Amino acid sequence: MTEQTPKKILVVDDEINVCKSIRRALMCDEYEIDMATGGEEALRKEAEKHYDVILVDLMMPGLSGIDLLRSLKGQRSRAQIIMMTGYPSTKTSLHTMQLGAFDYLPKPFVPSEIRNVVIRALEAGRAEE
Amino acid sequence: MLADYSDMPSRSLIRRFFDLPLRRKLILSFLAVISFGGIITLVIGTRIEHRTIFSLAESKVRNDLAAAWMVYNEKLNGIRDVVRLSAAREFLPEFFRTGGRDEAAKRLDAIRREYGLDILTLTDAQGRVALRARRPEAFGEDRSGDLFVQRALRKETPAGTSIVPRTLLLEEAPDLAERAYFQFVETPKAAARPGDHEENGMLLQATAPVMDGGGALIGALYGGVLINRNYEIVDRVKDIVFRGEKYKGQDIGTVTIFQGDLRVSTNVLDAQGQRAVGTRVSREVERAVLVDGGRWVGPAFVVREWHITAYEPIKDIDGRIIGMLYVGTLEWPFLDLRNRVMATFAGLAGLCAGFLLVLLWLASATITRPLLNMVKATDTIAKGDLNHRVEIGSHDETGQLAAAFNRMTESLAQANENLAQWGRMLEKRVEERTRELRETQDALVQSQKLASLGKMAAGVAHEINNPLTSITINAHLLLEDRGPDDADRDALTLIAEETGRCAQIVKGLLEFARQTPSEASDADINDIVERTIQLLDKQASVRNVKIIKDLDKSLPLIVIDKNKIQQVVSNLVINACEAMPDGGTLTIVTSPSDDRRQIVLRVADTGVGIPKANMDLLFDPFFTTKSHGTGLGLAVSYGIVHQRGGTIDVESEVGKGSTFTVKLPLEETAPDKKPAKDQP
Ligand SMILES: Nc1ncnc2c1ncn2[C@@H]1O[C@H](COP(=O)(O)OP(=O)(O)OP(=O)(O)O)[C@@H](O)[C@H]1O
Ligand SMILES: [Mg+2]
Repeated sequence: MTEQTPKKILVVDDEINVCKSIRRALMCDEYEIDMATGGEEALRKEAEKHYDVILVDLMMPGLSGIDLLRSLKGQRSRAQIIMMTGYPSTKTSLHTMQLGAFDYLPKPFVPSEIRNVVIRALEAGRAEE
Repeated sequence: MLADYSDMPSRSLIRRFFDLPLRRKLILSFLAVISFGGIITLVIGTRIEHRTIFSLAESKVRNDLAAAWMVYNEKLNGIRDVVRLSAAREFLPEFFRTGGRDEAAKRLDAIRREYGLDILTLTDAQGRVALRARRPEAFGEDRSGDLFVQRALRKETPAGTSIVPRTLLLEEAPDLAERAYFQFVETPKAAARPGDHEENGMLLQATAPVMDGGGALIGALYGGVLINRNYEIVDRVKDIVFRGEKYKGQDIGTVTIFQGDLRVSTNVLDAQGQRAVGTRVSREVERAVLVDGGRWVGPAFVVREWHITAYEPIKDIDGRIIGMLYVGTLEWPFLDLRNRVMATFAGLAGLCAGFLLVLLWLASATITRPLLNMVKATDTIAKGDLNHRVEIGSHDETGQLAAAFNRMTESLAQANENLAQWGRMLEKRVEERTRELRETQDALVQSQKLASLGKMAAGVAHEINNPLTSITINAHLLLEDRGPDDADRDALTLIAEETGRCAQIVKGLLEFARQTPSEASDADINDIVERTIQLLDKQASVRNVKIIKDLDKSLPLIVIDKNKIQQVVSNLVINACEAMPDGGTLTIVTSPSDDRRQIVLRVADTGVGIPKANMDLLFDPFFTTKSHGTGLGLAVSYGIVHQRGGTIDVESEVGKGSTFTVKLPLEETAPDKKPAKDQP
């Protein structure tokens, strides 16, 4: 466990502003943060670069968050996937958790919240290895 | 009036009879029977009575006639005795021997007068008149042809009635011819008869032989009484037989001696009150008695009135019918008697009938009174008094009827009561149903409001949450970069906080729009209350409020979503506390409902209260009177409670406080309609 290799994080949200905000919140030396504004793009990026954590908005035009989650899990991605949603519900949260999401984060959230989740996700990822 | 009317009155009379009250019908029937019977009895009774009375009267009259004959014959015997004794007097042979006509005539007339004879005449042994008491100068006339003289000359002493011709009467004494003469009086029912007068007389006479001292027959003496206009016999009979009996001033009994069919001696009076001599007997009697020689007994018209009569022929010494002896009594005293008897009888019968009528009237009352009572009772009952009962007076049919009537009324009342109960129940049910419906309606309206709002909220929330995320993150990031004395810090803090509030609003909206599946489990409501209060205790608004908890420990567990109910409790508690900014008392009560089928949670405050105008708006989303309120607290609570099948109510008085009451059924019933659909 060395500090030299930065953790790779992908933020997927159809709204670029949200992506940027989240990236700003997480921005630090230990993290290498990419953004994607759609499911397809996210899949592509994951194929190039295997991320440690992927933050996925649930509601996106085209490939939805759930679909993306399924695909990623289908590809046996090693990334911890954190779902975000502006319309949280117990049903969807349960669903995503069953599909293998690491956590479920209702929007809006403050920087500390997202940071904590990501840290926990990274720890979990490390534990899995 | 109609022409065709023949049998109408009788029919309508019968109908009218049947329409009469029972009691009157009874009485009328009784009257009909009794009067029919009475009339028949009266008619037959009168007949029988009549016959009885009249046969009595007739037999009496027969007896009277016999008595009359006795008097008649006594008179005749009297005459014979006088004549016989006179014939034995000394001066008669002496007259034959020595003459001395005047002296002898005087003595003979004295005897005649003394014994009330009309005629006293002496004949010689050859039957020639020797000496007449009243006319001494007329003698020598041959009377040997006379039956009485002949028999006297044979030394017999015959007596009897005979008709003497006018010539003889004139010989004996001219006034006798005068007395015997009758001009016929017109008599209505008499038989036709030639001539218009009677000149012969009717004589009661006797003859005796006259003998000298040696017993040799020297003559005959005959004497007699002229009956014509001589009333001695008839009046004597009347006195002896009827004893002068009068009826209403009129002699009852009358006696008459007829010469042929002519009344020659009588005490029957005519219209003027004179003896009705000169009148004649009626044709029937004449035929029966004079012609046929029989006796007549029966009613007869005598002179001018009906009598009960008896007639018998008077025969002369040869047995020839020469007249009649009559005895009669007035008929009308008998009729009167009969009528009196009948009147008495009728009166008695009437009295009996009257008495029976009264009895029947009273007796019929015992029949009709219960019936009338029943009629009255029926009226009373018909007017609605079903508790009315008929008095049961007897154990006869009317009593049974009354009992049956009462039973009927009872069951009627029972049925009525059942009906009323049923009606009341129905009414209650309808009321309940209506209320339920209204509640459902209200709930539905509320639900629809919520549902449409929910849909909108879902979309809005999603859209707003994305920009909010950006704003929130950036505001915080900026704040992180600033030192504590940074000039922008306040502004950034404000942005962060207000964004937080926005997030709160949206969260509330979403909460409200979303129906997360109930994570229901057995829960202790008291537990939930306690926990909620613990959580809220730190909040500013709650701090200066006194909290009283009255939690029923015996409450059963209830299957609910703990988090949701907690949300409801906290909403109500926060509202209550916010209504008491200057402090007050918050009372939280849990209890079972009266029927123990629901759990009741009551949150009461002593706060500002709710104006009437706001009461209907409380549960509307976004209704708030607070500057920082979302107006979603009660709307969400409402949704939660109703989804659970419960109710939430409020009572409030401005200035005094408000009480919110939540009722949750222990058995979870499906809500009428879910306030909102679960959104994906
Ligand atoms: N206990 C109470 N006493 C007086 N008024 C009340 C009480 N509870 C509710 N209200 C009134 O009902 C309104 C609606 O309440 P509700 O809880 O829905 O919203 P709010 O309290 O205004 O906002 P929020 O709950 O978001 O803070 C309140 O603004 C207040 O006027
Ligand atoms: Mg409130």
